[in-house]
Amino acid sequence: EGKTAKPSFTDEAVQNLLYKMTGLNLQKVFRPVKMELKPPKYKLMTEAQLEEATRKAIEEAKEKLAMPPVLKERVPIDDVLAEDKFLEGTESTKYVFTDLTYSVPHRERFIVVRETNGVLRKATWEERDRMIQIFFPKEGRRVIPPVVFKDENLVTVFQQDRHEDILNRCIAQFEPDSPDYIRVHHRTYDDIEKHGKYDLLRSTRHFGGMVWYLVNRKKADGLLIDMIQRDLLGDATSLITLYHMLHPECPSAKEAKERNLQGVDLIKVFAKTESQKEGYIQLALQAYEEAMAASTAS
Amino acid sequence: CLLAGSRLLKGYRGGHVVIRFALGGCTNRPFFRIVAAHSKRARDGKYLEQLGCLDPLPNVYGEKVAGLNLERLRYWLGCGAQLSRPAEKLLGLAGFLPLHPMTVTGAERLRRRRAAPSAVDSP
Repeated sequence: EGKTAKPSFTDEAVQNLLYKMTGLNLQKVFRPVKMELKPPKYKLMTEAQLEEATRKAIEEAKEKLAMPPVLKERVPIDDVLAEDKFLEGTESTKYVFTDLTYSVPHRERFIVVRETNGVLRKATWEERDRMIQIFFPKEGRRVIPPVVFKDENLVTVFQQDRHEDILNRCIAQFEPDSPDYIRVHHRTYDDIEKHGKYDLLRSTRHFGGMVWYLVNRKKADGLLIDMIQRDLLGDATSLITLYHMLHPECPSAKEAKERNLQGVDLIKVFAKTESQKEGYIQLALQAYEEAMAASTAS
Repeated sequence: CLLAGSRLLKGYRGGHVVIRFALGGCTNRPFFRIVAAHSKRARDGKYLEQLGCLDPLPNVYGEKVAGLNLERLRYWLGCGAQLSRPAEKLLGLAGFLPLHPMTVTGAERLRRRRAAPSAVDSP
């Protein structure tokens, strides 16, 4: 049963596919970002130097496109260390004690709360995050999570097409396994899928996470159509390969394995058996083939 | 400026290291630093090392935030530092030391005082 174990986000094959689908648009990755104003620097380079510079830029872009982790939601902490019921009524507020030892990793830090009823318990995850941010501040993170991450305000953000910014801010603010992080990411991906704005995330580090989410929930049809319309057939085939890796018992996966299909045939089989938007996929494929025929003819 | 009679390079006769609270902050806004210092020094004067802090005013979430550098605390306790009574009580509440007996006694006395007026009023 080892072979049929479900592949995880961190598997090499999965990561390769997601990296290929993310694309590498250097103009988008290195677009001007709001920073301190400096006069521009111009360099005069030969062809060879320009190639060298482009190569280095591609290396840097690969580092920038490293995907943030996708983890399961963390289990709430619920541990009582001591019960001293006779202390009830002495204090009016609770005390939060944080261990400030520098060499201890944040996950293993002792943070305890002595309640007003005398119970000494471990702090909840939210309290932990707040205390660690107070004593060991991290850049880009606020002590109290900003109001923008509430659902009613996320709607405004999505209307302004600023999905990438809010996702970057979410990564800076929350831990990857916190329920808020997962909720914001899922809302963003749902909104992108509803309006078909896949290109907003295309050359960013969030694209892999989005594809993983959509394929796990079998909502990848819109993305497939978008890829075909932008003539990204390679990405379309990698998307379907990923789908087959994650859902090996579905009919299109079995058929693909039997007949060992490649390229456009894979998409056609997938459209016929699995997808909900079969008509749209057929139309998009037709348009693509006509465009190919026209370009080869002319 | 380290002259023989300077306040910085002071040598004491007797005295010992204590871990106590040093008061800081502004008017009507206290803030305690948990500090390892010589017992003869001023309360807010030069200390050996800061081992943490305590904010006596509750924050937005109704908590009194305290930080304790347990590793260095253990070092100073191992070196033979004494603790002041409020520091002992705080560490007892934190769970690092066993609960101070005066905390327990204080709780008893409070309960008795709260029960007493109702006993006096009723007859």
